[in-house]
Amino acid sequence: MSGAGMGGVWRIPAALAGLSIVGLAAAILGDGFWDWLCWATLSVPLAVCAVKLWRQWPGRSASL
Amino acid sequence: MTPASLRGWRLVHRWTSLICSANLLILCVTGLILVFHHEIQHLMGEELDSSYTEGQARLPLQSLVDIAQKADPTLVPKLLSFDPEDKAVNYIYLGKPEERGFDLGRWVVLNGFTGANQMLKQPEETLVGFLLKLHVDLFTGFAGQMFVGVMGLLFVVSTVSGLVVYGPFMKKLAFGILRFGRGTRIGNIDLHNLFGVATLVWAFVVGLTGAILSFSPLITGYWQKTELAAMTARHPEPMTGPAVSIDRVAAAGLAAFPGKDLAFIAYPGNEYAGSRHFSVLVRGHTELTQRLLSVALVDAETGVVAEAAGTPWYMTVLMLSGPFHFGDYGGLPLQIIWALFTIVTGVVTVTGFVVWLKRPRTRAASDRNASGAKLGSKA
Repeated sequence: MSGAGMGGVWRIPAALAGLSIVGLAAAILGDGFWDWLCWATLSVPLAVCAVKLWRQWPGRSASL
Repeated sequence: MTPASLRGWRLVHRWTSLICSANLLILCVTGLILVFHHEIQHLMGEELDSSYTEGQARLPLQSLVDIAQKADPTLVPKLLSFDPEDKAVNYIYLGKPEERGFDLGRWVVLNGFTGANQMLKQPEETLVGFLLKLHVDLFTGFAGQMFVGVMGLLFVVSTVSGLVVYGPFMKKLAFGILRFGRGTRIGNIDLHNLFGVATLVWAFVVGLTGAILSFSPLITGYWQKTELAAMTARHPEPMTGPAVSIDRVAAAGLAAFPGKDLAFIAYPGNEYAGSRHFSVLVRGHTELTQRLLSVALVDAETGVVAEAAGTPWYMTVLMLSGPFHFGDYGGLPLQIIWALFTIVTGVVTVTGFVVWLKRPRTRAASDRNASGAKLGSKA
């Protein structure tokens, strides 16, 4: 996960943004499959926040 | 990006965020609870009675109107509103006979199957009503609602400017790095950047739709004064005889749009209808199409549809803003996701504020600091 260069900076944020857009739109288009698609994609940004926080919480062994 | 334009974006991000931060925290806390308003109303016994037995027939609209009018015989029916999610809940607005607006009368809520009359409590009397009022207008009415709308727009600008300044800041940093061991400011910056960029699209959408909903009186008012007024002006005939029943009006309106459901019916003489024409507004019934309204003008004396039309794009935008703000279109899992995003947004707000509190006193001072020179005085 390299932060070097602008491409590296935007890769993950852009992916999370894309998933968010798909997720927000999905559930309005229908029920069943569309709801599941919505829940799955919108959970990713939240999971990323949680995992990053968990792994780097002060006192835990610092590993990204 | 030039250093000057980056400085400009930083200023925009700092000030739009700072101005809306206090209100934003209120919105996050109240919004976090309001996401579950159905569940809370259920627990508190504040929900409307929508019970009916399977296969039970709806009461005719006319008998609902008659029941409503018993609440205050000096008032006349002006508007019927139908809940898209709950078939049994019908709202009837009663006003003074000469009233064209919706300020002086009262709402009556009826169970459309049993006719049971339910008192609408004042917002202050219920938990959800209280939180909603705090969320929407800070208990200060129309002016407060416009204020919250402007705060919402500032928040939208803050998310966009935040994205712009994120790139240059993160140039040499790995995504998601959290340097908690490096002091309060650095730790808060990192948390702010990670949580902010990860939830940016959600925050942008919820902020923008919230601002649009805040301005809804202006948006519906504009539609009423332009397209709807032009439509009713094409049918200026006055009332000369008795009106047909409201059920016939509803049926005529529905027949003009096969497969749609009733959304609103406005009686002749109020500002959303003609002088002798009812406005019947209908909507579809999927998650998407229930937000698309169409309107038919129905002649009150003949029960014939005089004109039928869709609604303009900005009304569709307004109607679609609802689900994307409330997160109520994907079941309980989406409500929980909405609540978690709200918490993350609250963390972004607080950490952003801490970063500002802990800022280096001036740019010159921080530069001198960085170069190791002795600080002369504070800024």
